[in-house]
Amino acid sequence: MISVKNVGKFFKDKKVLNNISFEVHKGEIMAILGPNGAGKSTTIRNIMGIMYPDEGSITFRDHKDIPRNKIGYLPEERGLYKNVKVMDILLYLADLKDYPLKKAKERALAYLEKFDLKGKEFVSVEELSKGMGQKVQFIASIIHEPELLILDEPFSGLDPVSQELFKEEIRQLANQGTAILLSSHQMNLVEEMADRLFMIHKGQKVIYGTMDEVKREYANFKCTIRGKNELSELEVLPEVQRIKQEENKSVLYLSKDVQPAMWLKSLPDNVRIEELVLDRITLHEIFIDVATGKNLILEAGELDA
Amino acid sequence: MRNTWKVARWEIKRNMKNKTFLIGLLSTPVIFIAFMLLGSLFGGYDVDETRVTEVFVNDELNIFSELQMSVEESDLNWNLQETEMQESQVLNKLEDREDTAFLFIDESTVNEGLVSVYTTDEIDNFFMNQLQIFVPQIQSIQLERLNLSMEELSPFLNGITFVEETLQGNGENGNGEVTAEGGLTSFMERLVPGAFAGFIMISIVFTGMAIFQSASQEKKDKLAEIILSSLTPGELMQGKIVGYFVLGIIQSLVSIVFILPFLIWRYDLPIMEYLFVPELLVLLAIAVLGFLLFAAIFVGIGATMEDVTTAGNFQGLVMMLPFSPAIFIGPVLNDPSGLFAQIGTYIPFTSPGVLILRLTMLEEWPWIEVIIALVILVISVWFFMKLAGKIFKVGILLYGKNATPGEILKWLKA
Repeated sequence: MISVKNVGKFFKDKKVLNNISFEVHKGEIMAILGPNGAGKSTTIRNIMGIMYPDEGSITFRDHKDIPRNKIGYLPEERGLYKNVKVMDILLYLADLKDYPLKKAKERALAYLEKFDLKGKEFVSVEELSKGMGQKVQFIASIIHEPELLILDEPFSGLDPVSQELFKEEIRQLANQGTAILLSSHQMNLVEEMADRLFMIHKGQKVIYGTMDEVKREYANFKCTIRGKNELSELEVLPEVQRIKQEENKSVLYLSKDVQPAMWLKSLPDNVRIEELVLDRITLHEIFIDVATGKNLILEAGELDA
Repeated sequence: MRNTWKVARWEIKRNMKNKTFLIGLLSTPVIFIAFMLLGSLFGGYDVDETRVTEVFVNDELNIFSELQMSVEESDLNWNLQETEMQESQVLNKLEDREDTAFLFIDESTVNEGLVSVYTTDEIDNFFMNQLQIFVPQIQSIQLERLNLSMEELSPFLNGITFVEETLQGNGENGNGEVTAEGGLTSFMERLVPGAFAGFIMISIVFTGMAIFQSASQEKKDKLAEIILSSLTPGELMQGKIVGYFVLGIIQSLVSIVFILPFLIWRYDLPIMEYLFVPELLVLLAIAVLGFLLFAAIFVGIGATMEDVTTAGNFQGLVMMLPFSPAIFIGPVLNDPSGLFAQIGTYIPFTSPGVLILRLTMLEEWPWIEVIIALVILVISVWFFMKLAGKIFKVGILLYGKNATPGEILKWLKA
């Protein structure tokens, strides 16, 4: 659907985006991740034509000019005009996207009902609670049936109920064929929802691939052992790449090809175990590592370069 | 262009549904009328229908009864009386009176066609014109005395002239000869379109101030990115300018609907006739250019800040620009063609105000100056629109802080 190729962007002399390339396909949820200031919003603004890239190109269905009325956008910094009615603003935003007003009205009413805002269409925006406002913003971004939906931190500040509602709606839109580009800090949600992900740090690509690929490649097994053990004793264990020790807890990062059952059997009898957890490195941990500059991922090698 | 109209329509609709705007819309003409009524109340400017003008006639030709008849016939609100008072006594008599006039009809009236008229300061504006009703009576006396020789016929051919001699009449301005096509009428002819254009300009400039608020609205309400995902900053900016222009016109029209009938009722002038003259088009063009200039400046500066209360000195200074013609009001009133008037005409910020004021006062329009000023205005409008576009594009996305003059300069260079 949309394809970003070798995009670079300068703010004055500083290069804030460097050689960014990814694609979003029809009917998939693609997540763009990264710590604050990594360049997520800048990338999105370049796609939306709010800024223009200094290098590279962005194409929508192989066309250079991006039809903005086919894209829905929920920015990170978002709000609504204060002193207008909910329906008025929804229709205005639909009108700006060249969407027929009559259809927009029907869809607005349907979505308001779906999001538990039935009867609020003639209420002034300033009378809505924050959560209600966010729902209206979300409706505004999808009212014109976009082919590509860009959501910048859609879950920030949402209560768990609304979060679930949004998740459900986003999934449904993807199933109906909408291409979705989603940026978020909340790794658990991304892990749950995204089909593919693109991780960016300091304007550079760090990881790009499908969720399964990424997990297979980067989310190696790790074994967390609670109990007092000498570092030297653990270091000699097979398949251990590195060890993180703090007080009574040791985290053993295992190599990619480890066979979990066999590896457990290979543990010597003298290892003191009060508690043992064997699981995969989560997206969250990868994210933290990237953000704090510990290059755990680089050790594992790049994927899909 | 389509998107520009969408934004314009939205701004109009949003304001027309806004109580604050509606109250302002209706209260402006009401306040205007209220001030005019108040002014006449305190200023003693009572143009009451029942005001009686005392007219004393020193009649040496014995035509008083004829004069009285013509006053009755013409339905004037005059109290006509005979007097024996001499011209030398009149001045004392007039000092502590209002609406009083003395006419001296004597031999010189017959021979030279002159009637000396002394009036108080306060007198009906049209009194001197109304005196024309006596012309037939006086002429008939002249005719009676004719021997039909050419020499004696000439005073008759000269007609009658009323010579106005007021209290200050002994001074240098004394002998203003008032004819039926008096100076008052031609001044009103110029004043009405000028005042109209001035009023239109003031009301659209004031509505234009709302652009200021509106420019930072998207920033304040954090909508800038949502809106800009559908249209370009240029379209948004133009849409706002067009929208507020239309709102300004609506404001003017509503005001006119209220005020014009009031003026016609109150001052009994053929305002409509004076209003729709070709000059009005030029004056309106000046007013519209003035609006566009200030709209560009407001929308540009408005986009650099979150809201008016956090405006820095620089922004505050720029907001004062529309009031800059005030500097020139004094000099222009003194001498509408003087050096200061011309300087004011060529400075883009003061040009619309000064031009409208000057053209209202001048009988002969300085067309070359007007054209040069219009060219300067058009170029300035184009130039400031460009600048505003550049500032707006960056400023609108700058959340949470006001831009410094240094930063604005940097955006302009970009």
